[in-house]
Parts: sequence; C-alpha cells; structure tokens
Amino acid sequence: MLELHDQIEAAADAIREEWDETPRAGIILGTGLGGLAEQIESPTVIDYEQIPHFPTSTAVSHRGQLVCGRLEGVPIVAMEGRFHQYEGYSLKKITLPVRVMKALGAETLLVTHAVGGMNPQYQPGDVMIIDDQINLMGDNPLVGINDDQLGPRFPDMSAPYTPELCEVAQEIARRENFVAHRGVMVAVTGPNLETRAEYRFLRMIGTDVVGMSTVPEVIVAVHCGLRVFGLSVVTDMCLPDSLKPAVVEEIVAVANSAEPKLRALVLGVLSHEASRG
Amino acid sequence: MLQLASQIDVAATAVRERWPTVPRAAIILGSGLGGLTEEISVEATIEYSDIPHFPHVSALGHRGLLVCGTLDGVPVIAFQGRFHLYEGHDAQRASLPVRLAHRLGAEALVVSNAAGGVNPRFQVGDVMLIEDQINLMFDNPLIGINDEELGPRFPDMSAPYDRELMQTAAEIARRENFVLHQGVYVAMLGPTYETRAEYRMVKQLGGDAVGMSTVPEVLVARHEGMRVLGLSTITNVCSPDALGETSGDEVIAAAGTADGKLTTIVRGVVTGL
Repeated sequence: MLELHDQIEAAADAIREEWDETPRAGIILGTGLGGLAEQIESPTVIDYEQIPHFPTSTAVSHRGQLVCGRLEGVPIVAMEGRFHQYEGYSLKKITLPVRVMKALGAETLLVTHAVGGMNPQYQPGDVMIIDDQINLMGDNPLVGINDDQLGPRFPDMSAPYTPELCEVAQEIARRENFVAHRGVMVAVTGPNLETRAEYRFLRMIGTDVVGMSTVPEVIVAVHCGLRVFGLSVVTDMCLPDSLKPAVVEEIVAVANSAEPKLRALVLGVLSHEASRG
Repeated sequence: MLQLASQIDVAATAVRERWPTVPRAAIILGSGLGGLTEEISVEATIEYSDIPHFPHVSALGHRGLLVCGTLDGVPVIAFQGRFHLYEGHDAQRASLPVRLAHRLGAEALVVSNAAGGVNPRFQVGDVMLIEDQINLMFDNPLIGINDEELGPRFPDMSAPYDRELMQTAAEIARRENFVLHQGVYVAMLGPTYETRAEYRMVKQLGGDAVGMSTVPEVLVARHEGMRVLGLSTITNVCSPDALGETSGDEVIAAAGTADGKLTTIVRGVVTGL
C-alpha cells in the first residue's frame, strides 16, 4: 500500500508543476457531460498521459484530460473523461484520481454520470441527486491491506453522499424551477446494458437508476474523508415491460441536453462549498 | 488443484509435528470472539507464520494463532484469526484453514463471526444461529479445476448448516435461558460497511444478518463433507431508516459482550459430538 501512497504523490507532484493552486473541489464529468469543462476559467489542461500512474480513457465521449482552473472563482480540478471497470481497469486504478484530488487539497468531490432510469416517475433528461448507492460491481477499491494513513479499514457508509449537499441541490432545483429527483443508484460492471430480467431485479432491490461508474470513486472519497455530491443524468429509460434497444448516440445527446440543469446544480453546490470558509 | 492438495498436506504435516492428536472439531473464531480459547486446555499453539502456505493476517481483532488442545476432554483445534476476501485473499486461500482442519481429521466445523443485524428483532449482543447463507461475495472457493479427492464438483447446498447441531445449540440456549435467533447470513465483500440501500437490499433478499466472512469457509467445509455449525454475534443493528455510524472498534467491543453465550453453545455442541 505504500506503493499507492507513492503513486498518489508522484501524480500530485506532476499536476502541481503545471498548476500551483490548491483546489477546493474535484469534479468528475461523466458521459456526454464534458461541456462544463469549457466553462472553466484560465484553464490549465493536462493530458492523463502526462500524469504518472493515471490510466488512459478509452470510453465513448470521454476525452482523457485534467482541467485545472476556476469555476465561479473557485479553484477546482475537473476530470474530463473517467475510467471504468469495464475497460479492464482495477477499481484501485480507477479511483487513483480521487486520491490525487485529496492530496492536492480538495475537500469535496462532485461526481456526475449518465444512467439508465428504472424508476417509472423519471424521464430521459431528468437529473437525480444521488442519495445512496448499492455496489454490485463484484469488487471494492479498498480490498487489500489498508494504509491507515489514507483512511480507516472499515469505512462507515451510513451517508456516503453528504446530506447537506443533497439539500442544497434540491433547493437550487426548486429555485430554478426544474425537476431534480433524489434516489438510489446501483453500479454494475457492464459493459453490456441490462436485460429486462436484470432491470426487474435491480428495481426489486430498491434502486432508481443504474450505471457503470461512480460507486468506486465515492467509496474512495468516503475512505479519504471527502464530502461527496453525486448527480445522475437519466439518459434513457429502462422499463423492463416496455424496453427499447439503447442507442449510445442518443444517450450522449440526451446527456448533452441536460447540461444546463447539471451546470446549475454543480455550480450552486460549488459556491456553497466555497462559502463554508 | 493437485497443488492445493499438496499444500494442505505440507501444512498438516507441520501441525502434526507439534501436536499429533486427531481433532474431533475445528473452531474458527471471528472478530473479538477469541475468549473461547481460554476454555481450551491448550497442548500446543502454532503461529500462522509457522504453518506453510498460510497467508498473513492483517484484519483488526484477528491474531493469527492455531490453538490445539481439548475442550472438556474433546480434542479440538481453534483458529484464532481468519482470512478475509477484503484483505486481498481469494476465496480459495481464505478457506485454507478448513481444508487443513479436515486433513487433520476434524469432522465438524464450528464457525463464528461478527455480523450486522438487519432483522429488526435483533439487538446488539444477541447471537444468531446461522440457518442458511447467501453468497454475495462475487467469488467462490471452489472455482477452478475440481480435485475429486477433496470433494465433488457440484456440492449440494440444500442444508449447509447441520440440522442436528443446530438443534443441540437451540436446546442449550433454552436450558441456559438466553435468546438464540435463527436466521440467514449474507456475506458481502467489504471492507466498506453497507450503505442504507445495501441493508435494504439484504433484507429484501431474505437476509437477517450481514458480514464479510464465513461463507467461503462453509462452502469448503461442505465440499469436504464436514458437519457445520455457524454462529453470528450481532455487533450492530442496521436499520436503514435510522442508521447510525459504524466503526470497527465498536463492533469488536460489542462482540466481546456475547462471548459468554457463544462459549456456552460451542462447549455444549463440541462435547456432544
């Protein structure tokens, strides 16, 4: 595990050489949600390839660069493009960037991703504030000998998503007059989309949306003591009794259309965090 | 798998050199339940590091010691400290102690663990007799080429826990006048404690208690044809709609409070073998 510590330091050093500010928050931008990165002021863009120990992003519509700069005047680092278990990476590798954000000084993680909506009240293009999660990825990024310097052996998971930030986001949505659900996200390995029978199963165990990311990053964020805000963008509906084939291009297009809502919530939560002093 | 058989042989030889008796039963002691070993008339103690092919123990509250001796006159071995999947061991390696116990001649396995109670009737410090189990660890110690010498390719799981031993345990609890629940144990990978949503899932699936061990060991015990008794100490109650924080130290402290009940049951069951 000392090896992990050294990897975090090496990656953080490489980023500090390009950008010497202390980020208030780290942001992970999911499928089709990269547009927010264009709004970052005085950006320093670092290719993942330039950062030691970072894997390279291979997923559709994920670019593979770290954008450091300011959003609403708040210093942040944003990942444009993330890593997935279905790409063949271990969960430890996938979550390294979260540890690097923490090492750089970030106190909060904001994570966004595209999901399939299973709750019949939801519609494509809706956003869901993640209240809780279920890990069905068959793996955990904390498996192995624990480095107590990084976090506890058995992290508590009673509230992985900071309840205060969920409430801040709901208030923003009410003010801006758009729908923001609050629900439970389940993460599966993928890369295949679920069968009708699997959607019924996931619904039965109490979940509202399903995705192939976010859970590992959030587990590591909790392990290293970050406050977490998670946002799912419902890009297609997965209703087992009227299921249509999924088209990746459509999913990306719907994700793009939800961007104004996403932007309002991410920027609002970020301002809230910056005002905590 | 032939390699596995020869590893077990080497480990068993190392134990026999120190303690030549044939144990009737093997006991695996979970988090904070090491107190039972005080009841054993110890004839030999062997560090795991002195047993060939045994992995290193890193888990909180687990020591890594094989205690050999007699419990009320019955020869037993007790594993003080176990291996977990969350430590990075695969299920096959985590269940190596059970294979060793069987090779030494043990016919019964008594396995205990600390678990979170999702059944709302359970209270901290209660003991649950494991009646059945669900494997949600995404691994199985029997994956790979099967060694028919060790057990069948497709072990039956219609009753992994021995009904007779369960009955004996239940009678002891009635006689001694304490609560002994019966329920289903769900094993998850860990090391994170469950989220509220995960506790709801476990309840929905029919689980009464949830933990991070035991299932691989029981699968191997059944593969070997051993009789199994399983006991969970409820160290925290996980009601998803009023969930407090859980810490490893609290769990170990709570496990200690059930030590007496557990010792009574295990003594009674082992002497009845």
